[in-house]
Amino acid sequence: MRDLYQRLGVDSRASDDTIRQAIDACKHNALKTDARTVLEVKSRREEYDRLHATLTDIGRLRARLGLTHGPYWQDNVANDFSLPPDTSVPHHDALLSRVAQAVTLHNRWHRYRAPWLVGGLFALGIILGIALCHWLL
Amino acid sequence: MALARFSPFELLLLKSRHQTDTAGLLLMAWVLASKGHITDPDRQRFADLAHEFRHGHDLEPLIEIAVAQDLAAIQLAAEVLHKDSGGERAYPFLRQATALAVNDGKLTTANYHILCFLADLLGVAPAEFAALFEATTGKAFEAPEDPSRTAYWQAKERQQGHREQSQERSEQAQQDEHQQYGSREERHEEREQQQKRKHEYSWQRNDYRHHQRHEQHSRAHQSPPPNDRTRRALAVLGLEPGASRNEIRKAYRRLAQLHHPDRVFAKGEAMTASASQRFQRIKKAYDYLMEAS
Repeated sequence: MRDLYQRLGVDSRASDDTIRQAIDACKHNALKTDARTVLEVKSRREEYDRLHATLTDIGRLRARLGLTHGPYWQDNVANDFSLPPDTSVPHHDALLSRVAQAVTLHNRWHRYRAPWLVGGLFALGIILGIALCHWLL
Repeated sequence: MALARFSPFELLLLKSRHQTDTAGLLLMAWVLASKGHITDPDRQRFADLAHEFRHGHDLEPLIEIAVAQDLAAIQLAAEVLHKDSGGERAYPFLRQATALAVNDGKLTTANYHILCFLADLLGVAPAEFAALFEATTGKAFEAPEDPSRTAYWQAKERQQGHREQSQERSEQAQQDEHQQYGSREERHEEREQQQKRKHEYSWQRNDYRHHQRHEQHSRAHQSPPPNDRTRRALAVLGLEPGASRNEIRKAYRRLAQLHHPDRVFAKGEAMTASASQRFQRIKKAYDYLMEAS
């Protein structure tokens, strides 16, 4: 499927007026006809938008997973949604590092629990004592 | 040290008994969600298919995540599955996803692309996946119509119009029937008239056939004009319409030898798969022609 928004040079969330202006300004006649048919009728545009969102998602996933040049994506139909490869941190690695961090915190808490509890209770007692003295005197 | 919250899918994945299976189930739920609306038979099918997975948690949260199109969760699932790509679970998983996608008979455009993505993710070549799809559903795996073109909408709306018209027509026909069978005598008369009409019609048709046969004789054609499927089957074998049985058999033997998958076995799986497809086409055409003639 072609990405009509990209070809018209507008955002996919653009208002109807903006899209109409973009279509009027378009110089490619075949594209103009197709864009008129698809985007200027509300029900058709809704259906097209749903599919557009899914294909955009697939394009992003492929870019992030490094699946940009598979034989499935070499026909012109899917090329509008192909993005350059992404070098962001994979979500699975991020998840693993966060789990590791949580485990470290957990272990640290268990190891230093006793001194911290004793210290905390001592401090609380002193504060309470001071407050009591203040109130009584 | 700030620790970001774990998302619902991350928690599910961490609690799961088998992470790859949970990831696979989320991707299948994505296939389900891309059908537009999830019907009860679809849900049931999904639950049935999930019996083969070793996940150990509810399916409902997965469906909710998929319906919300949570890209981060889907990406995480895809990454988990990608680590296992090429494994022995790849083919069964694709088969299950395909079965879910065409549960009610029709493959949506969104699901066509999702299935392509899943096959690419698991490292299955297009030819292999097409064969798998055909084996699972009995239909060819081909790109659906392109909704960014005018022709798609014209065809679609024409179909809808036809469906409405035919509905109206059937309702009218029912009403007509009710009116027709008001009294018995009328019905009798009508039937006589109909029979008379049929008689005349058959006479005319016989005449017409007679004419045709004469014309055919003059053109030295003995068989009736071949229908479209016969013509296509003959074209597959590289023959002109009107080829004899003997010619068909010869052409089939020649082409079958040329395109037999065993010939290109040494050149790798992809070549074998494509040769197998060609061979199947030739064989089907030959079988049909032998039955028809």
